[in-house]
Amino acid sequence: MSLTTYSWLVLAFPLTGSIILGLGHKVLKGKTAGAIGTSAILLSFLSGLGALRSLQSRPEESRQVVSSLWTYAQTGGLDVQFSILVDPLSLLMVLVVAGVSTLIHLYSVAYIASDEGYVRFFAYLNFFVFSMLMLVLAGNLILLAVGWGLVGAASYLLISFWYRRNTATKAGIKAFVINVVGDVGIVLGAIVIIQGTGAVDLLTVFAKAPQVWHTNDPQIVVGCLLLLVGAFAKSAQVPFHTWLPDAMEGPTPVSALIHAATMVTAGVYLIARMHPLFQIATTASDVGAIGGAVTLLVAATIGLVVTDLKRVIAYSTMSQIGYMIMAVSAGVYGAGLFHLMTHAFFKALLFMAAGSVIGAMAGEQNLDRMGGFRKVMPITYGCFIVGGLALSGIPPFSGFFSKDDILLGLGTQGGWYWALYVAGYVGALMTAIYTFRMIFRAFHGEPCEEAQSLADGRLFHAAEHRNPGDGTLEDTGVGYPGAKHHIAERSPSMSISMGVLAILATIGGVIQLPKVTNTLDHFLHPTFSDSPKFGLAIDYNLMAIGMVIGAVLGLLGIYIAWMIWVKKPGTSARIQARFALPYKLFSNKWYFDEIIAFLIVRPFAAAGRFFQRTVERVVVDGAITAGPISIARASSAAVRSWQSGMLRAYAAAVIVGAALLVLYLMLQA
Amino acid sequence: MNIGWYLAVSTIIFAIGAAGVLTKRNALVILLCLELMLNAANLALVAFSRMWGNGDGQIFAIIVMVVAACEVTVGLGLIVAIHRRGLVVDADELSELRG
Amino acid sequence: MIAAIKAPLIDWSALAPFTSLTVGAVVVLIAGLVGSARLRSWLVPGLALVTLAVTAVELLSRWNHPKVIVSEALRVDNLTVTLGLLCVGAAAFAVILSLRSDTEEGVGRGEYHSLLLFTTIGMLILIAANDLVTIFVGLELLSIPLYVLCATELRREHSLEAGLKYLIVGSVGSATLLYGLALIYGATGSTSLPKIGVAISDTGALTDPLLLAGMALAIAGLSFKASAAPFHQWTPDVYEGAPTPVTTFMATATKAAALGILLRILVGPLLPAVDDWAPVIAVIATLSIVVGNFGALGQDSLKRMLAWSSVAQVGYLLAGLVVATSLGIGALVFYLVVYAVMTLAAFAVVIENERTSDDGERLSGFAGLGRRRPWLAGAMTVSMLSLAGLPPTGGFIGKLAIINADASGGWMWLAIVLVLGSLVSLGYYLRVIATMWMTEGSAEKTPVVKQAREIVAVALLAAAVTIAAGVLPSWPLERAQDVGQTVISSR
Repeated sequence: MSLTTYSWLVLAFPLTGSIILGLGHKVLKGKTAGAIGTSAILLSFLSGLGALRSLQSRPEESRQVVSSLWTYAQTGGLDVQFSILVDPLSLLMVLVVAGVSTLIHLYSVAYIASDEGYVRFFAYLNFFVFSMLMLVLAGNLILLAVGWGLVGAASYLLISFWYRRNTATKAGIKAFVINVVGDVGIVLGAIVIIQGTGAVDLLTVFAKAPQVWHTNDPQIVVGCLLLLVGAFAKSAQVPFHTWLPDAMEGPTPVSALIHAATMVTAGVYLIARMHPLFQIATTASDVGAIGGAVTLLVAATIGLVVTDLKRVIAYSTMSQIGYMIMAVSAGVYGAGLFHLMTHAFFKALLFMAAGSVIGAMAGEQNLDRMGGFRKVMPITYGCFIVGGLALSGIPPFSGFFSKDDILLGLGTQGGWYWALYVAGYVGALMTAIYTFRMIFRAFHGEPCEEAQSLADGRLFHAAEHRNPGDGTLEDTGVGYPGAKHHIAERSPSMSISMGVLAILATIGGVIQLPKVTNTLDHFLHPTFSDSPKFGLAIDYNLMAIGMVIGAVLGLLGIYIAWMIWVKKPGTSARIQARFALPYKLFSNKWYFDEIIAFLIVRPFAAAGRFFQRTVERVVVDGAITAGPISIARASSAAVRSWQSGMLRAYAAAVIVGAALLVLYLMLQA
Repeated sequence: MNIGWYLAVSTIIFAIGAAGVLTKRNALVILLCLELMLNAANLALVAFSRMWGNGDGQIFAIIVMVVAACEVTVGLGLIVAIHRRGLVVDADELSELRG
Repeated sequence: MIAAIKAPLIDWSALAPFTSLTVGAVVVLIAGLVGSARLRSWLVPGLALVTLAVTAVELLSRWNHPKVIVSEALRVDNLTVTLGLLCVGAAAFAVILSLRSDTEEGVGRGEYHSLLLFTTIGMLILIAANDLVTIFVGLELLSIPLYVLCATELRREHSLEAGLKYLIVGSVGSATLLYGLALIYGATGSTSLPKIGVAISDTGALTDPLLLAGMALAIAGLSFKASAAPFHQWTPDVYEGAPTPVTTFMATATKAAALGILLRILVGPLLPAVDDWAPVIAVIATLSIVVGNFGALGQDSLKRMLAWSSVAQVGYLLAGLVVATSLGIGALVFYLVVYAVMTLAAFAVVIENERTSDDGERLSGFAGLGRRRPWLAGAMTVSMLSLAGLPPTGGFIGKLAIINADASGGWMWLAIVLVLGSLVSLGYYLRVIATMWMTEGSAEKTPVVKQAREIVAVALLAAAVTIAAGVLPSWPLERAQDVGQTVISSR
């Protein structure tokens, strides 16, 4: 089969899957829906691999292929085709999206098994994957905007999947409102670009852009800033980020799929895809880079103080995407996409492991109530450790290479990018701290009631089902989580998918070992060959220093976390005994502990609390979410109060309106 | 012949009609005022017809009269129907539908 | 001298759509007098449908055979055929949708259907009008039966209120239009549209205050019929009060007729004055988009919500008119047809839901519809998505075409307003979808009434066409372009 056939198949399988599941939701029984959904995505992934083989067999200069299935509308000045653009960048995204999605579907087969909305869940999930693949494969701006809107809709459906939960529907609406703000950005940005170049086709736009606009031409800067609004909203960057923590109301596989591995990285993809435009609009690129840097710091500080297990991971996701946005905005494309890939592995893994813990906790997500799961859930614990090490950037786990690759790229460019470089390392330290804070609090320490019960051989089930968010009583029917919980230890499909991801999170870095493999850079070259910043000569001294700093900061962070959350007074005697030597060693240096806490953790935590309290609640929720809503409410009230029901008032409006028209035209004359 | 005078009268009649629609509450009177507005237009049509020396405007005016009669008939019918239901024929009372 | 009086030359074949409708309307009226109620209950709608079908065929046969008939009073061209078919179709669906509405004592089916047909004739005349006199006659022939139709549910106070409100405010609109037409005649000396066009371009009557004032009043009067802001206020009240099949008919056909004639006047004889009227239309379009979308937010009555949304939709349509090119007109015509189809789907669902539950017209009556009647909810979903302008529906393509025409015609800001307005509209269209699929209806509500197959069929058919127009838009877009071409070239 040809490259384009494979690529169309990539799209066709998830679409078919979602249609079958959508139509058959009354007929399909048992695990059939899970099997259909999972195999649809698996086939899509395999088609992606076929496309990859076919693409690599082409000469490098012809590795950007546009294929049009049918001419959508080619009349009246409209020239819209249902066309896809297959090149290394889109194919990388396809493989990451479809690959991780397959594993997450597999995980969901067990995770969601007792839920009444089983079929609906897979229908939504397949629909989401289709939308996401369409977004990354889109060959023109209109299809891109369509895919962009569809993933937002799918995300809304999945966040509100337990639709009888008030908190879930509210979170869905919030996500939707902010995403619509982003959609405005994308659509208006696309209109600006279409008007400027007179083309909708991406490759044509890129070819014409340098002729139409000079560097920092106001029009393209505005266009790119509008695109950035879309990218920031979808990728949960400050100040459009508050929907992401709330989106954790959705089922955990959804968090793993949409809010870690795929949809939230759409902003990164967008900037990378539009790089010929962002390189002309350097101001917009700088805004993007600074926005990413701010997000990575703010989110990391908040991650230090949040007590909800999934929200910690959510803030961590924001922070990591901040790295990627910063990278691709600053022209470090290869590293940014490399991090996108490794992040998809280890973050999906962390979410899956978190899902396993939540299963053991019977839906409870509060870190304060957890503890001591290490012994009773070894698989989950192992996955958490692997994911955590990769996230903290400890060699040789994948996150280490990708994060350092980004920072190296920034450092190589010099100039004010040094500020971003430093921010990146500060963020790396905090990342390690919050990650292991989470792990230590959930898995170490005194076993909690649920861990005890698991140790006794039975999975804890609460007597009555309650919403972990606000404590309202629930049943287990449609629209609420199902009756049973599932943990990786007891569900092969969950542990298999976690295992695969754990392996990838561990060894994923080999694809791009600096100076050794560089596979990803070579692979992506055809897409970015027009970029002067792509493949800059690497300063090997800087690289060596950076790697050392990165590793040291990561280890230091883990150490700090360990000092504070494991070794603090009141930890169980068992832990003390196990770490007897270091405990004695450090208990004598009591003040060291305090000093670290005072110097590093307290300021960070204070900043985190500050951001959470002011920036999030007041600025973001106030201005960005509540703003449009209250404006809409007020305008609606104004319009409707004018609608008095009095027919004489209506007649007056007609007459006054007509008189105004006459007046206007007479003044024209 | 100065068309201006005819136009002025016609405009004034139109304005009186419009003002009547806006100020009167009795639906019957409102119908009368609507007739006034239509007849203002008729006057203008006939005057213009004279000015241009062709018959178009006059034909137009005659047709308008016919149409106006139909409109009033329907209006009166509705008012009778409302009256029969025991409702007050008052423009301001008919404001159940709003918002 | 008797021989000097010649009968005017009448092209009967071109006039056929008008005559067949008239004959049909009279026959239906007489058929309404048949004694047996059972016979009447199928004979009258049947005859009405036959009449409409015959008219549709006659209209279709005039495609690409433009002809000016009856002493240049009517112009039967592609625009007439397209919009005429739309109105005839809307009338046919209104007949089907009202098959099961319980007729009041005293208000016979004969009158109801006859009035419907007469309104349709009025629309046809209005769309085909080639003369100021015909415009006025067409408009009144359209309006007067509609006033009565709105008030047909004599028992319901709201129906009467809607009828009288529509009559009075509508008559103000008609009077405004008439005065405008009188002034245009005064400025140009002719009632014939082509001659007016010649007079304007030859004598430079462009700056004549009479003409401009006339133009303003005419735009106001026709905007009223199309329910564009600020002449829209009757719309929600009348739409809510009128019987729902009549509302359906008004929302689709009346709009098409009003926009059709607006198009014919503005892009016909008044095209030289485009720089004067385009900003006016642009402002009306903007106002309609803003007012309509904000008015629809938070409405609990589906009929009212659709009424407000129709105001916004007219704003989008007018945005296509602003660009007085074949591009813009093509986009307008395409979107007009799509709009009619998707609105039909929505109203059909509302009618069916109204029949089967007590609060069927309220948003709360739609809770859990997805579970109870997935097909009906599916049709509604498609309609809402299309009205919101989301792919893969015709509404998406239509909006895209209009935005494209605006952006390439130098009306960038209007395109932006359109985009922003559409995004606001998500707030109420998606709310309906969410209510249907993601909330529970009260379980004990068992439908007492039998489900009406034909209404569901109409809803599904309209939904299918909406999707088809979104997936394969090339053919209809090209036809719409043809129409745009004929309008531009006919002047």
